Amino acid sequence: MDWHTCSFYVLSVMILGSALMVVSLRNIVHCALFLAFTFMGVAGVFALLHAEFLAAVQVLIYVGAITVLILFAVMLTQKTIGISLKQTNRLAPLAVLSAVTFLCMIAVIALNTTFPTSGQHTVAVSTQTIGSAILGNGSYVVPFEVASILLLAAMVGAIVIARGQDN
Amino acid sequence: MTLTGIAEFIASFFGLPGSSSVWIVAVLAAAILLGFMLLTVLILIYVLRKLLGKIQARLGPTRTGPKGIFQTAADALKLLIKEDTIPVKADRRVFIVAPILVFVPAYLVYVVVPFGEGNHFIAKDLNIGLLYIVAVSSINVIGVVLAGWASENKYSLLGGMRSAAQLISYEVPQALAVLGPVMLAESLSMQDIVKAQGEGLFSWFIFRSLPLLGFIVFLVASMAEINHVPFDLPEGESELVAGFNVEYSGMRFAFFMLAEFAASFTICAIAATLFLGGWHSPIRGFLDNGWWTVFWFFLKSSALVCLLMWIRATYPRVRVDQLMEFGWKLMIPLALFNVLVVGLYVALGKGG
Amino acid sequence: MGPQHPSTHGVLRVILKLDGEWIVEAHPDIGYLHRSFEKMGELRTYTNGLPLTDRWDYLCAMTNNLVYSMAVEQLLEVEVPERAQYLRVIVCELNRIASHLVFIGTYGLDLGAQTPFLYCFRDRERILHIFEEICGARLTYSYIYPGGVSGDALPGWLEKVDAFLDYLPPMMREIDQLLTGNEIFILRTRNIGLISPEQAIDWSLSGPMLRASNVNFDLRKESPYQVYDRLDFSVAVAEQGDCLARYHVRVAEIGESIKMVKQCLAQIPDGPTRAKLPKTIKPPAGEVYARVDTPRGELGVYMISDGTDKPYRQKIRGPAFVNLSILSELLPGWKIADAVSILGSIDVVMGEVDR
Repeated sequence: MDWHTCSFYVLSVMILGSALMVVSLRNIVHCALFLAFTFMGVAGVFALLHAEFLAAVQVLIYVGAITVLILFAVMLTQKTIGISLKQTNRLAPLAVLSAVTFLCMIAVIALNTTFPTSGQHTVAVSTQTIGSAILGNGSYVVPFEVASILLLAAMVGAIVIARGQDN
Repeated sequence: MTLTGIAEFIASFFGLPGSSSVWIVAVLAAAILLGFMLLTVLILIYVLRKLLGKIQARLGPTRTGPKGIFQTAADALKLLIKEDTIPVKADRRVFIVAPILVFVPAYLVYVVVPFGEGNHFIAKDLNIGLLYIVAVSSINVIGVVLAGWASENKYSLLGGMRSAAQLISYEVPQALAVLGPVMLAESLSMQDIVKAQGEGLFSWFIFRSLPLLGFIVFLVASMAEINHVPFDLPEGESELVAGFNVEYSGMRFAFFMLAEFAASFTICAIAATLFLGGWHSPIRGFLDNGWWTVFWFFLKSSALVCLLMWIRATYPRVRVDQLMEFGWKLMIPLALFNVLVVGLYVALGKGG
Repeated sequence: MGPQHPSTHGVLRVILKLDGEWIVEAHPDIGYLHRSFEKMGELRTYTNGLPLTDRWDYLCAMTNNLVYSMAVEQLLEVEVPERAQYLRVIVCELNRIASHLVFIGTYGLDLGAQTPFLYCFRDRERILHIFEEICGARLTYSYIYPGGVSGDALPGWLEKVDAFLDYLPPMMREIDQLLTGNEIFILRTRNIGLISPEQAIDWSLSGPMLRASNVNFDLRKESPYQVYDRLDFSVAVAEQGDCLARYHVRVAEIGESIKMVKQCLAQIPDGPTRAKLPKTIKPPAGEVYARVDTPRGELGVYMISDGTDKPYRQKIRGPAFVNLSILSELLPGWKIADAVSILGSIDVVMGEVDR
């Protein structure tokens, strides 16, 4: 077993374990923290796949911004702090059963399908290729710009809502 | 006598497979960086107090050791032997994790700081070096928010959130300001950026395209990022609302202080790398190889650190809403303008 | 907020009601430094009561001594020798400079500027040294006695004062550069804590707080005492009535004080420094109100004598106490961060507020 596979397994345990904690812990801030760990694990997997740009961006956006967003949302909502949340209700066993069934189905399908793989091992996607893909000739420039406009609209909307009526 | 050599020796000594030497190199490099970081903080705190003393017409530390050089050690000892109090209602685990989340990013950035020429003076010259720095610094924010929250103190929660707002606001101009050198060097790797400034004093990025603007925006935004005066409202005896680290005592508090001082050296190092030519000497080819590069690097970083301390002594604190206004309404337009100008410069210069 | 707080200048407690960032209500809660000076004054003779006066507003103790002595002299209807009057004015104005230096230093410190504080205290040290040479004490002088001053200036003292007055203006320029023109300082003090002239008069403000709201009223010009009518000086007045204006007024007053002391040094005659007073002072029954202009405002002592050697009643009108009362009207409508700015600009000394 080489380091590559070993790292992959460690990271997978980290991701899955943290994800499990997110949905089962009783303290919502702890859940948010474990969500951050999940994101970091995913960034690690990206790094393993030689997509280091994506790994850095994953950390920057998901860990650095989205987690903070979730934490802010949690802390600004009065009634959730210090309360021990009940993560399950009467339907929990049914939910677990259906999730496990779904998982088995997917696993069986996935293992029995031969996915067409490319001849190369892994393609090292450098920052430059991503840049050219987004902004270069005949590329994804239009969707990129549309996405920016969408984000701008969201930002403006948030500011308008946050300013309140009296302004 | 390189790290790789040592690592291979250790690997063979313990009978580990040859490929594990990579990991041993990593561990050794991490240990060296940690030692360097702690040493830097030690020296920086002492220099700060002496320099502040000189500016403020007083002596600074004089009693602890000759000329007070053991002052930081005395402070560290004091913090170590303090009682480690955790508020009763505080969330213990988060309380303990928060300082780590603030300290570790400050430490991680040292991996890509180019102390000198070649691959043995930088822990790892990542090809996304700059992006890595920006990404890792953003983890800071979680630590701050959690520190404020875990203290179970309304005021420290408010202080923590305010501090977090400051941090995320100033990440934007910092990242934008960094784009200038990236465009001029056409690479995100730190060593490449330094190499692109190799032709003597006027090839330094601070002088190319729009002189000084990118540098100033970066420095000011970074000062806000590390809670440095004049942006230290979250931790100065914040008028009414306590800072996020008010409930921390002893070594946990030391973590926050360590992170701040280490970060102040890091941003000066990065500013020196991006704008002041990194480890190059000002005169092309003169004393520009081997250990001399380390000397130039430290000279520039130290000059910037002293500049930061000078600013600390001179300016009062900015109020929090003025700080946000300043960041969003002044810094970001300036940074965007800088990106535009540098982009035009690069595009026109490349025969566009 | 308080009473233990780095920015409340002593043991002041302000109870604030907040709506998010905004202050809705403010109530100063004073009395933490109350030492019953008025009652203690009734239990001591007129001479023994003088050292108590140092402790009212301990930053400008000379003016406290002065107002008390003036009250006793008015009761006794005794004339103070000229040399004593000049010496009194010199030390009072020097004390004004020292007090304003403390204000500048601590105001900058409240707002986060650590360096001007040390420069101001360095210069104030020189004044305290001068005082030590004339009366032996640095903070609580008991120098100005009913009838004159407790001791004449030793030879060379007047020259030392002169040398200090030459030393100070370049130092003030340094401090000026650090604070007055500083963008951030101006940002934190301009248009903050506005007091209109009508408000200032309604709330009986006095001193720099009043003069910063465009009201030209200075006791030293309106009802001159000692030798102020022989001195040529202008009253520092500012128009805006915000924190920055109050800061500017106090800085300008330092300049005016320097001018005044220089004139005193030129005009001071030789002569006795104490009028002949009986060993036990027993003023005839009567009441008198003496007032002086201190760095904080109008300090007044209302003394009632019943013919014995102890005053029947000694009421102190403390300027800082009256100035502080406007806080409950001034603070609402501003943010928390401005509370420190505004409180600092009122320049309170809790010793005088609580007495």
